[in-house]
Amino acid sequence: MGVMRIGHTNLRVMDMAAAVKHYENVLGLKTTMQDKAGNVYLKCWDEWDKYSLILTPSDQAGMNHVAYKVEKDADLDALQQRIEASGGKATMLPEGTLPSTGRMLQFNLPSGHEMRLFAHKECVGTDVGSTNPDPWPDDIRGAGAHWLDHCLLMCEFDPGKGVNKVAENTRFFIDVLDFFQTEQLTVGPDGAFQLASFLSCSSKPHDIAFVGGPTPGIHHISYFLDSWHDVLKAGDVMAKNRVRIDVAPTRHGITRGETIYFFDPSGNRNETFAGLGYQAQRDRPVTTWTEDQAGRAIFYHTGVLSASFTEVYT
Amino acid sequence: MQTGESYPCATNESLLQGMLRLGRKGIPVGCVNGGCGVCKVRIAEGRVRVLGPISRAHVTAEEEALGYTLACRVAPTVAVRLEVAGRLAKPISKGFAAQANHVLTK
Repeated sequence: MGVMRIGHTNLRVMDMAAAVKHYENVLGLKTTMQDKAGNVYLKCWDEWDKYSLILTPSDQAGMNHVAYKVEKDADLDALQQRIEASGGKATMLPEGTLPSTGRMLQFNLPSGHEMRLFAHKECVGTDVGSTNPDPWPDDIRGAGAHWLDHCLLMCEFDPGKGVNKVAENTRFFIDVLDFFQTEQLTVGPDGAFQLASFLSCSSKPHDIAFVGGPTPGIHHISYFLDSWHDVLKAGDVMAKNRVRIDVAPTRHGITRGETIYFFDPSGNRNETFAGLGYQAQRDRPVTTWTEDQAGRAIFYHTGVLSASFTEVYT
Repeated sequence: MQTGESYPCATNESLLQGMLRLGRKGIPVGCVNGGCGVCKVRIAEGRVRVLGPISRAHVTAEEEALGYTLACRVAPTVAVRLEVAGRLAKPISKGFAAQANHVLTK
């Protein structure tokens, strides 16, 4: 059974030309395809599958779906059975539903977000190739993001009404999709409520994260950089391009990530972060952050939460 | 207006950018790109010029016809009186008081 990694996200954008310019010039992705419906497909230089981002024209911002890649085609059948056995519904979309992509298992998370799993996507190779590769290509633009690393989904959270989709998603990912939890932020009496949850299917501190809010949405999609200096340089790129920075370079307590947050031209939040943090393993004790230390958990240096970071999402 | 606050805003910058540039507060600040909806305002008096698309998830066409918009996506063409249209209370920062400031631009 094997979910390997995040495969792509499909974001809604309100101005396609501005969005493509942002993801190309600021993040450093390259456009690899466009389709008749006006969707634009892009990838990072260090990714080998044909795309990791689909931009869809819309009258509002947000995320249409997130997709993860499984190791084997048969995993899709096995996971469909597990989802249905857990009481969920899952639909197998035929090959070609998305270009250059095999069949996809489509389902909704307990939080309502649409998720898809796929095993095949056209492999076009990284920009340095696989034979005697250089460490980086010569035509890097902007921040030069290596790869789409993870996403953070906002999930309905209202303990007073007994609603906690953060906890429900966490259970679903552990029990059904075979992820493991690395970190959590708990609130309420004796930390009874899981307000934030970080899960891995690899050796990275997170491959997906969930945080509680009043409505479901996408908090951010995150791209990997090599080093703290690359995070600073990404900030320079954003300033040069007049990008709205949400959180200036800092470190998270959770995952130890070195980070900068900013918004795409439709207001979808992006992150570029550096540092693999630690080796995430299934037997590593889960890290718990308590409510009184929530500020340090999120912004380790200042320990102060910013309203826009916790309240604003699409 | 309730607070009587005002700030100068150029005709080539958004109502929100004008406030931000001066380090002022009053209108909630989010993505500043028309997507998140937290800077929703109602233009009570005056006229504005649209700078870019606003999310229909936060301002419907009917609301727009009533003067609602996002402060990050409109520039004043004349003096504007605006009302902040409210914000959602999010559980991670309970206690962050809901604001209903009113900002008058010159």
